[in-house]
Amino acid sequence: MSTTIILGAWIAVFLTLGIFSYLYKDNPFYKTAEHLFVGISAGYWTSLFFWTQIQPNLFGRLWPSSNYSSDSFWYMIYNGLGFFYSPGFPNGGVDKGHEIHNVVLGVPNVHYLIPFALGIMMLLSLIPKISWFARWGIAYTVGMAAGLRAYGFLNSNVIGQIKGTAASFSDPNLPFWSLTSPSIFNSIVILVGTITGLLYFYFSKEHKGVLGKISKVGIYFLMISFGASFGFAVMGRISLLIGRFVDLIKYSGSEYFNATLWILVAMIIILGYDAFKNRDKILPVSKDVA
Amino acid sequence: MNRLTEFLLKIGKVDRRWIFIVLAVVVFIPIIKPIGMPIRATVTTKVVYDTIENLPPNSNVLVSIEYSPSTKPENHPMAISILRHLFKNDHKVFVTCLWPDGQFMAQDALKQVAEEEYGKIYGEDYVLLGFRPGGEAVIKGIVSNIRKLYTVDVNQTKIDEIPMMEGIYKFSDFAFLFTASAGFPGTVEWVQYASDPTGVPMSSGVTSIQVNEVMPYVQAGQMKGLLAGMPGAAEYEALIGQKGSATSGMDAQSIAHLVIVLFIILGNAAFFIERQRSRKY
Repeated sequence: MSTTIILGAWIAVFLTLGIFSYLYKDNPFYKTAEHLFVGISAGYWTSLFFWTQIQPNLFGRLWPSSNYSSDSFWYMIYNGLGFFYSPGFPNGGVDKGHEIHNVVLGVPNVHYLIPFALGIMMLLSLIPKISWFARWGIAYTVGMAAGLRAYGFLNSNVIGQIKGTAASFSDPNLPFWSLTSPSIFNSIVILVGTITGLLYFYFSKEHKGVLGKISKVGIYFLMISFGASFGFAVMGRISLLIGRFVDLIKYSGSEYFNATLWILVAMIIILGYDAFKNRDKILPVSKDVA
Repeated sequence: MNRLTEFLLKIGKVDRRWIFIVLAVVVFIPIIKPIGMPIRATVTTKVVYDTIENLPPNSNVLVSIEYSPSTKPENHPMAISILRHLFKNDHKVFVTCLWPDGQFMAQDALKQVAEEEYGKIYGEDYVLLGFRPGGEAVIKGIVSNIRKLYTVDVNQTKIDEIPMMEGIYKFSDFAFLFTASAGFPGTVEWVQYASDPTGVPMSSGVTSIQVNEVMPYVQAGQMKGLLAGMPGAAEYEALIGQKGSATSGMDAQSIAHLVIVLFIILGNAAFFIERQRSRKY
């Protein structure tokens, strides 16, 4: 087995046990693992976003190789950028197979300057004096997302759900009782649950009398829903725990030089020594653990 | 009776770190010594299987990978099983990723299933288009014109040079969509922006925590079945007859659930006893 794989296993074990050590209490192993995770994630994502979208889809459209001309002012800017960072701006333009829809003043696909400008505006948030520029980019993103979602939710979550769950009670083929397939009973449960659940969130009238009773039924429906969510959440967390345990067991083998055992023992000794040294300062366990 | 009450009250006050240790032990032991509990496919899993089984041969299937290593134990076995089923039935598989880490999860799964198990040829039997940032905007892009969004695949090969991309221009050119999803953007967005507007059937494998959110789409017929968390993956492994990591994790899962239920009962009993006592005095 290569040294890289073995080293990777030791790092994986250290980070996993470092995160788990938080269940005992906050400690430097946990902090190291946490900070590494945040830092590496940010760097990794930035790099991936650049190489999967900005370079091929933005620069590839603004400076396509098919329109390259070393005399053009636009490509002179490109060559200047290439002088500083040639992997992102290779010689002769970016060749990612993009079509040229328009050329205005020597700039191909000129409309792509708008997302380019908005992206730069977002980065300007790093400079306090002109950080307000970032609002333009954020406004565009929020506006676009709101528009897209309004359509998506209306179509699938409102109309689609009503269409899918509405049942004709006069349909002779629809059975009265079935829990696993469409039935009159299921349709009644959905109808009652939806109406009572919605009425629970109706705050324009005090929840007394009939409205109080109906909204109480709504609470029961909500509680059942939250209970199911909690159950699934527990199941998910246990699955992830199983995944980590499987890896820890794998890395405890002799081919990985018993990485799990060594790191576990080292952590227990260090944390135990720390607890012994600071036995007079032991604080009660924080309630937000778990 | 008094002894039992005192015991329950003690349990209610136990340091939570003991509970963590007990849980760790009950998860650890079945992994080392599996019991082999029976796995039976639920209706939603069976529907996913039947939908893929009933696809015409050589269908173009889009598989979207939207998870990262953090949910690998739940989502990866699903992706592996679905790929096995698709390649066994000789379908063409196109893989996209809405999550950056999804690209590497997809590479891992394709290497194992397409290359090593089925000897499929890249570009003819399967293609990895890779990750594009943008969430639902990427889905909209795939729905309207996939070639505008993906001009190159993950290896930077131009789309026009990939044989199996011939005739693929938009989402409706696919016969079926399967998403292995762990959150946003994922299954919900595929239903909203791709499957519902175009009518292309889709199924999904999701993490347990998402099941409640996604299940209404299955019940309303907007999705063809669902693989729900690790149990869903294990059920699919049983259906295709190839056991994997999900099946081996199910013993630990079941026993851990029993222990958690026991803790909930004991905790509630202690809570009610304590409340009754405080009312008395």
